[in-house]
Amino acid sequence: MYLHDLTIKKFHQGLLNKDFSAFEITEAFLKFIKEKDKKIGAYLKVMPESALRQAKDVDLKIAAGESPPLVAGVPLAVKDNILISGESVTAASKILEDYQASYDATVIEKLRSLGAIFLGKTNLDEFAMGSSTENSAFDLTRNPHDLKRVAGGSSGGSAAAVASTQAIASLGSDTGGSIRQPAAFCGVVGLKPTYGAVSRYGLIALASSLDQIGPITKTVEDAEILFNAIKGKDPKDSTSFDYEKQQASGGLQDITKLRIGIPKEYFIEGLNPEVKAAVDRVIKDFESLKFKITSISLPHTKYALACYYIILPAEASANLARYDGMRYPRIKNQESRIKNLRDLYIKNRSEGFGEEVKRRIILGTFVLSAGYYDAYYLKAQKVRALIKEDFDKVFKEIDLILTPVTPTPAFEIGEKTKDPLSMYLSDIFTIPANLAGLPAISIPIRHLPKDKLPIGFQMIGRHFKEADILEIGKIYEAIYS
Amino acid sequence: MAVVINKKTLKHLAELARIDLKPYEEKKLLKDLQRILDYFQELKELDTKDIEPLTGIGQITQKNTFRDDKVDLERRQKEIGEVGRILETFPETEGRFLKTPPVFE
Repeated sequence: MYLHDLTIKKFHQGLLNKDFSAFEITEAFLKFIKEKDKKIGAYLKVMPESALRQAKDVDLKIAAGESPPLVAGVPLAVKDNILISGESVTAASKILEDYQASYDATVIEKLRSLGAIFLGKTNLDEFAMGSSTENSAFDLTRNPHDLKRVAGGSSGGSAAAVASTQAIASLGSDTGGSIRQPAAFCGVVGLKPTYGAVSRYGLIALASSLDQIGPITKTVEDAEILFNAIKGKDPKDSTSFDYEKQQASGGLQDITKLRIGIPKEYFIEGLNPEVKAAVDRVIKDFESLKFKITSISLPHTKYALACYYIILPAEASANLARYDGMRYPRIKNQESRIKNLRDLYIKNRSEGFGEEVKRRIILGTFVLSAGYYDAYYLKAQKVRALIKEDFDKVFKEIDLILTPVTPTPAFEIGEKTKDPLSMYLSDIFTIPANLAGLPAISIPIRHLPKDKLPIGFQMIGRHFKEADILEIGKIYEAIYS
Repeated sequence: MAVVINKKTLKHLAELARIDLKPYEEKKLLKDLQRILDYFQELKELDTKDIEPLTGIGQITQKNTFRDDKVDLERRQKEIGEVGRILETFPETEGRFLKTPPVFE
């Protein structure tokens, strides 16, 4: 048994065959994390005791004759902006350094009831604001394929954990690419579900009209398993919907007849030639499988980044207003300086938030302020409507869209930290799916030699049509297995 | 005409956001925000006069969400425990109340 070979599927089979127990595998992962994570920095916190206890429970149930669900006993890593009851949850921010979650996020509750095991909480950009996990207040996460490079972000810890065999799979959150971009940089699969497919109750909010929780895994099949385990309507998140019902109303498709669209706006000048060549090869692979490939146009693509960086800070500035030092732990050693409530707000927010968070709060405050609201926030919402319309139009002709995930492979640590705009640009291909609420997946390109940095391709599907992109993803993986 | 963000505007925004900026933070923010706002200029070239703003995706994936107006006892029971734990995480309490510094001195 080798840990790095384990997928959710293989683990489940091994468990059924009694090749190993959940306890043995969990113990092995915990031991491996102890050695490996010094180099990678994927975890902010490891939870050995509760993980081993959960594993023992699974083994007892199996011994008692219960047949385990697919995710039972699977050691998972969880992004540290998702609440696990009784455990600290920091969002990689000093302002939540001593905060303990008082309840389970709905995704955690669901996975817990299925017997999944939580190994620990993974590193992220502070409040999920960033594309490299360099904005974490606590740790730097390195790319397991090249330690000089970033793991991507903001779910960098979750992607690096899976890529370096420190978990079989993980959960991340994606507001503008935060699952797909680090998955692409680390050579793993990342799925951002349709907006509302997965409950966000217990996810620390960044931008509420964009945020989604999703899986990061080694294979597309695993992403499907984990997605199925967490999706569905939750009375505690009014944006969540009845997935089965929505899917049934869409009807079933013959997968082999799905038409793939290639948007010309995603193959622009700034696209790294290696990324372009790699994605071109993926398109050829699908051609050779006799899929119908069509060139399409999404004319408003170039406006997506500006649109996003108005909407996101606006929503974030409102969401982050709650961190005021009152209901969450206070920044230490300043009690003497606080005379009134206003002082408390200012001291906690000024010392608790990092540079990028402050930048976005100020920017969000600006675009929402009287006098600028129409020119920025309202304008961005109108542009958002145009971007969504682009997708509506092309989905009349084709069934899914294939693009690169990122303009370049993983960049070097420190390369983009000085210039926020250059960092923002690393999300240009992932942002449109969030603005339109569409499901999108990042899949590692398989034909690349092992010594090269990973590159991913993205598939965007219609609303509620995770099944399309997942099925096509599985077909792609089958070519190389 | 691009909007120019000056020190006075920045100070006002920081005050609204209840963030106290140090001089070096101010300097960097002024530069960064200006570059970002200049980048936003490209949206101006789009005519959006007759476009309805898209405020969120909830309006696409589903219509209004309602629930029955009755107490969910099972959920309520759970929430009582959660409220207790939330109270424990408050930095300062008195009884079951959240304690804050005075609003006025």
